[in-house]
Amino acid sequence: MEYVKHYEKNFNDLSKFSDIDSLKQESFNYFFKSGFPIKKKGDERWKYLDLRSLEKTLYTTDYESNLNIDLSTIGLDKTNTISVNNGVPRYEKFDGIIVLSNQSYTPIVNVDEDEFLSLNTSLSSKHLLLKVNSEFNGKVLNIVYYGDSNKEILECPRIYIDIEQNVEITINEIFISSKAVTLKLPVIEMVLNKKSKVLHNLVFQSSFSENNFKFTRIDQKEDSFYKLTSFSNSSLLAANDIKVSLNGKNSECDLKGLYFTTLNSQFNTHVVVEHNVPYTKSNQYFKGILSDNSRAVFSGKIYVERDAQKAYAEQKDLNLVMSKGAEIDTKPGLEIYADDVECYHGATAGHVDESTLYYMMTRGIDKKTATQMLVNGFANEIINEITDEKIRSFAQNQSDEIIPSLSFNL
Amino acid sequence: MDKILEIKNLKASVSETEEKILDGLNLTINKGETHAIMGPNGGGKSTLVNVIAGKDSYTVDSGKIGYFNEDLIEMEVDERAKKGIFMAFQYPSEIPGVRPWQFIKASVDAKRKFLGDKELSVREFSKLYDENIKIVGMNEDLMKRSLNEGFSGGEKKRNEVFQMLMLEPQLALLDETDSGLDVDALKSVGDVVNRMRNGDRSFLIVTHYQRLLDHIKPDFVHVLIKGKIVESGGYELVKKIEENGYESFV
Repeated sequence: MEYVKHYEKNFNDLSKFSDIDSLKQESFNYFFKSGFPIKKKGDERWKYLDLRSLEKTLYTTDYESNLNIDLSTIGLDKTNTISVNNGVPRYEKFDGIIVLSNQSYTPIVNVDEDEFLSLNTSLSSKHLLLKVNSEFNGKVLNIVYYGDSNKEILECPRIYIDIEQNVEITINEIFISSKAVTLKLPVIEMVLNKKSKVLHNLVFQSSFSENNFKFTRIDQKEDSFYKLTSFSNSSLLAANDIKVSLNGKNSECDLKGLYFTTLNSQFNTHVVVEHNVPYTKSNQYFKGILSDNSRAVFSGKIYVERDAQKAYAEQKDLNLVMSKGAEIDTKPGLEIYADDVECYHGATAGHVDESTLYYMMTRGIDKKTATQMLVNGFANEIINEITDEKIRSFAQNQSDEIIPSLSFNL
Repeated sequence: MDKILEIKNLKASVSETEEKILDGLNLTINKGETHAIMGPNGGGKSTLVNVIAGKDSYTVDSGKIGYFNEDLIEMEVDERAKKGIFMAFQYPSEIPGVRPWQFIKASVDAKRKFLGDKELSVREFSKLYDENIKIVGMNEDLMKRSLNEGFSGGEKKRNEVFQMLMLEPQLALLDETDSGLDVDALKSVGDVVNRMRNGDRSFLIVTHYQRLLDHIKPDFVHVLIKGKIVESGGYELVKKIEENGYESFV
C-alpha cells in the first residue's frame, strides 16, 4: 500500500488552502489505514470489481483549479448552474440558495463508511454547503462536472444541500467526459426536510481515462419525496453508490437507473435504502445493458428497522447481456427486522428474446434493427423517467448513439 | 389461376427435439382465395403457418414451399414479410418500451423501402393509422402503451388484425386469431378479414372452431391431422366437423 503515502502528501498539501478539521483528519486516518477497497474480504460492495488499477496510477488533487468551461458548448446555460471543474465546485449566488457555515453542517456520510468516501471527505478542499429555501421552489439546480488536465487528477467535490420544508426542486447532475486521466470521487448529500420534494437526474458518462465513483447520500424527513433517475455510460471503472435513509413517516423514494457497459468497463451500482420509521415506501428499479467484455455489479439492499412497520419496498435489477464475454453479478438483499412490512425483490439477466425478434421480423423488420429496437425499448423505460426534458433528451441522444454501436455477439 | 403459395410434400420437424410434425403436406393457394385449416391439437396447424413465416425453431426436412414461384425455404423471415407474407400470432409478443405507432411505422417503412415505394410521410402514415384504429375498434389509450403490454388476449388479437390492415399483405396467415375473443371482437376480426378480401389477396386461417369461419365463410377448408391434410372441401366441411368431430377423418 505504498500509494497511500502519496495521498498522505496530497492531504498534507491541503493545509495550504484549507483548515484541516477533525472530520478531515479522522477520515484521512481511516483511508490511510485501509487504502482502496481492493479485493476487500467481506465487502460486498467492491469485491466483484477489479480495482487494482487504482494502485498503479497516483492521482493528485487540483485544489485551486481555475479551469473554466463554456457550458453553452454542451447545450447548457449558466442559470442556476454550479460548475465543478477538476473537482472544485464553483458557486455563484443564486436567489433562494444560501451558503451554510461549517458549524451548521452535520455530514450524512460516516467517517468509516467507505474508503472512497473517506478520501473525498479528507481531500475535498471546500465542502459546498447549501440551503435551498422557498424562493427557489419549483426551480432547477444544475451541477456540471468537468475536468481537464495533463496530470493525473483526483477530484473530490463534496456538495451538501439542505432543502427547506415544503420546497420542491429539480437537481440535474451531469458529468462531461474528457480525455483527462482522473479519479473522480464526487459526493452529494441532501437533507429533504418535511414535505420537500427532490427530482434528481444524474447523467454519468466517462471516457477510457476516467474512473468515477459517485456517491449520493439522502436523509429524508417526514412526508418528503425523493426521485433519482440515473443514466450511465462509462468506459473504464465507475460506480453509482446510493444510500437513502427514510427517517420520517410517509417519506418515499423512487430510485431508477440505466447502465450501459461496453468493452472492458466495470460498473458498480450499490443501493441501500433504510426504512427507519413506520409508513415509509421505497422503489429501486435498475436496468443494465452489457456488451463486449464488460462487467456490471448490482448490489441492492432494503433495510427495515424493527419499529418501521408498514414499510413497503420494492427492488428490481434487470439486465440484458449482449455478448458472451459480458458478465453481471446481481445481488439483491433484504434485511428486515419489522414484521408488518411488504417487500419485493428480483433480478434477471438475459439475452434479447428470440421469439420477440421473430415476431418483429414477421413484420418486415430485419434482425439487426429489431434487436436495436428491443434494446432501445428496454433502455427507454428508464430514460423516460428522467424528469428534466433537457437531460432526458441528452440521455436519449447518448443512448441512440450507443445502441447501434453495441456488438451483439452471443 | 395465379398461384401465390404452393406447398409440395412438406415435411418439417421441431429443430431442437427433431420431433416430426408435418408429414408430406400439400397445399396450393391461388390469388384471392381464403383457406381455412382445421384440425385437432398437435396436428401441425401452428407449425404449418410458422414454417411458411420462417420460424427457425422448425426445420424443413424435405419438400418445397413456393411463393410466387420463389423458393421460400431459404428466405429470411423479414424478407418473406417484405414480400407480402403476414402472420397474425396466436400469442403476440409484448415489447416493453416500444410504442405500437413506432413499431408499425418501422414495419411499414421497411416494407415500402424494400419494394422501392416512397416512404410515407408522418402525416400520411398517421392518417392511415388513425383510420385503421377505428376500423378495428382498437382502444386508442392502449395504443399509447408499449406494444401489447398490459393488453388483454382479445386486445392483442385486435392489434394483430390492425397490423394486418396497415401492412396490406399479399398472403395473410391467421394463427388461431379467434381464440380468447369475445363475440364482438370475433365479429370485428371477421369484418376486417372480409373487408380485406379481394381478387388479389389470399388468407390462410388456422382455427379450432367454426365461429370465426361463420363470419368469414372461407372458399376452402382443409382438415389437418398428424401432419397431413386428410380432407379438403368447401365451407360445408366446417359443418361436418362441428357435427362429427375430427374422429371421422382419422
